[in-house]
Amino acid sequence: MKKILSIVLLGLATAAAVTATFLPFSELLIRLAPGQPQTAYVTTGWSTHFGGTKDEHGPLFAIPIIAAATAVLLGIRWRKVAFAGAAALAGVTGMLFVYLLNAISFHKSGNITIDPGLEAGFGNGIWVLITAVVLAFGAVVLHPDD
Amino acid sequence: MIGRPTAIALIAAGVVLTATAMVLPWYSTAYAGDVEVVVRAWGTEIVNKPGDWPAGELSPWYGLPVALTAALLVAGIWINRAALAGAAAQLGAVGITVALVVSERGHAIEQQGDFAIGFGLVFLAIGTVVALAGAIAVHRETA
Repeated sequence: MKKILSIVLLGLATAAAVTATFLPFSELLIRLAPGQPQTAYVTTGWSTHFGGTKDEHGPLFAIPIIAAATAVLLGIRWRKVAFAGAAALAGVTGMLFVYLLNAISFHKSGNITIDPGLEAGFGNGIWVLITAVVLAFGAVVLHPDD
Repeated sequence: MIGRPTAIALIAAGVVLTATAMVLPWYSTAYAGDVEVVVRAWGTEIVNKPGDWPAGELSPWYGLPVALTAALLVAGIWINRAALAGAAAQLGAVGITVALVVSERGHAIEQQGDFAIGFGLVFLAIGTVVALAGAIAVHRETA
């Protein structure tokens, strides 16, 4: 029973991690001139957009996320890999969180004079990714490999 | 396979390399007029900062997750699982860093900057791989 639940959790963790790459990790809403509508600056795992413009060199955070998620998925077959995969996913999430925290505060302090009403913060993607880490470790705790 | 002492030595070497990476520059971009932006684990330094430099300072704490994974590696000398967790998590953190560096390099070249990888990033990458090899070996010895 515990084994089945563990497999289900590993599957859910993988699905959550993959889903997170398509959701926004950080969002900045800014008016570049008074009275203008706000432009959205959105980063996902696959792209960074400023309004309709795509950043050609946007960071592809999805690649390490998918790699770690693959290790979590392989953990269904090889139990030892599940623990390493969960840890890798935690490392990916931790470093991404720190980067986003820095980037959000950078955008706030750098643009507050242009638009005092700007909004900068985390997107749902990071919370879904953190959920994936919790699910993956839950699976490992439930059904340890030895 | 390679014996526990060798495996522990690999983990220790990984920790030392990682610790060294925490103080060395990770990457830098040189622009016209001797302006250089140097990014380390604990902050960004702008050499010869021009007056019209954009507001807002990027103060990275990239060292924070790496300090945690390095602490797990040290604990891994006594607890096998901690070594594997630390090495795998550090590999994940390095993965995000690589994605970031590729992006920063693209931006730098687009703005006519001269991008360079620092020794910090090289030491971090080697340290992570060495520690991972040690952690996997330690796990197999006891299995």
